[in-house]
Amino acid sequence: MSTEPIPMSDQEFWRSLAMDGGAASGSISDNDLAAWLEGRLAPAEAARVDAVLAADPVQRAAAMELSEILAMPLPAAPVRLAVRAQALVGFEAERMPASRPGFFVSLFAAGRRQAMRAAAMGTAAAILAVSGFLMGGGLGESYAQQKHITVVSSTDTSNELTDLFSDGNVI
Amino acid sequence: MTELNEINLRGLTAGNKRAWDQFVAAAAPLINAVVRRALAPYRLGEDDVMDAAQDVFVRLCASDFRLIKGYDPSRAGISTWLAVVARSAAIDHMRRRRQVADSIDDVPEAALAVEDRHTEKLKIPQGLLTDRQALMLRLLYDEDRDVTEVADLLKIDAQTVRSTHHKALLRLREHFKIDPT
Repeated sequence: MSTEPIPMSDQEFWRSLAMDGGAASGSISDNDLAAWLEGRLAPAEAARVDAVLAADPVQRAAAMELSEILAMPLPAAPVRLAVRAQALVGFEAERMPASRPGFFVSLFAAGRRQAMRAAAMGTAAAILAVSGFLMGGGLGESYAQQKHITVVSSTDTSNELTDLFSDGNVI
Repeated sequence: MTELNEINLRGLTAGNKRAWDQFVAAAAPLINAVVRRALAPYRLGEDDVMDAAQDVFVRLCASDFRLIKGYDPSRAGISTWLAVVARSAAIDHMRRRRQVADSIDDVPEAALAVEDRHTEKLKIPQGLLTDRQALMLRLLYDEDRDVTEVADLLKIDAQTVRSTHHKALLRLREHFKIDPT
């Protein structure tokens, strides 16, 4: 029986091997992966990322994909992507202050401003109407005045009719 | 157009609309490219890809720009960091979308099947290779990457990849007593 070693190409040889079960697994944070991609991690941290990537084909493919994109010239993005994204942030005057707002500030905050304005206008109009009505004597006086005018006008009319008949003008 | 690394991030996170608009204009090509590439296997329509890319921007400005405030320029350039964040957000967007859309009955059986990898292989003992050597061999042989691609990924020169690869294989052959061809 021959004890000669079997010659193998490097790739065949590698594929006949399996990494030990103790190979690293786990996740890499976005910040760590970004630092690793730029070669800015400390050796111990870089080794941990190397181990995770060696053990996980999905994360390895992701790292390779990012490395390729970062090295290539990028095509322009569709205009609508930028337009929609820019609309996500409003103008400074519309932004809430960073600190906790006071009662009146939150009362008139951007979201409620329109409704509050309408409510304030309505309230002011109602106050004006009521105060004007009260200054004019209120409902009772108004009714009495109206009644007086009616009585006076009906008396005048009956007097005119009496005068007409008494003068013998009726045929 | 302003470059990504020229954007006033402090002004942006303070709510400066002009800084945000400049940031979006500079970041859109990168985010668009990363999201498209990450979601390519899912074969989505243009509108769905745009929604995923838009979701990246939503995350960047959410909670008073919490994500951007967490960026540390001493650890990575803004483009690299943004590319990593955009990819994670796109994959996450896709996962959430699938959770809503798919029930277990709708997933093809092939996707649920666990690959039978039970083949007799010699086990590489722990510590025989460094993590970097193992990663390099994986890239070169399992994924058929060429030396230049591996060098670009690892930010080292091609000659270092060749010598590291050579040393790793020598060590393995020596351990398993296999002669090279």
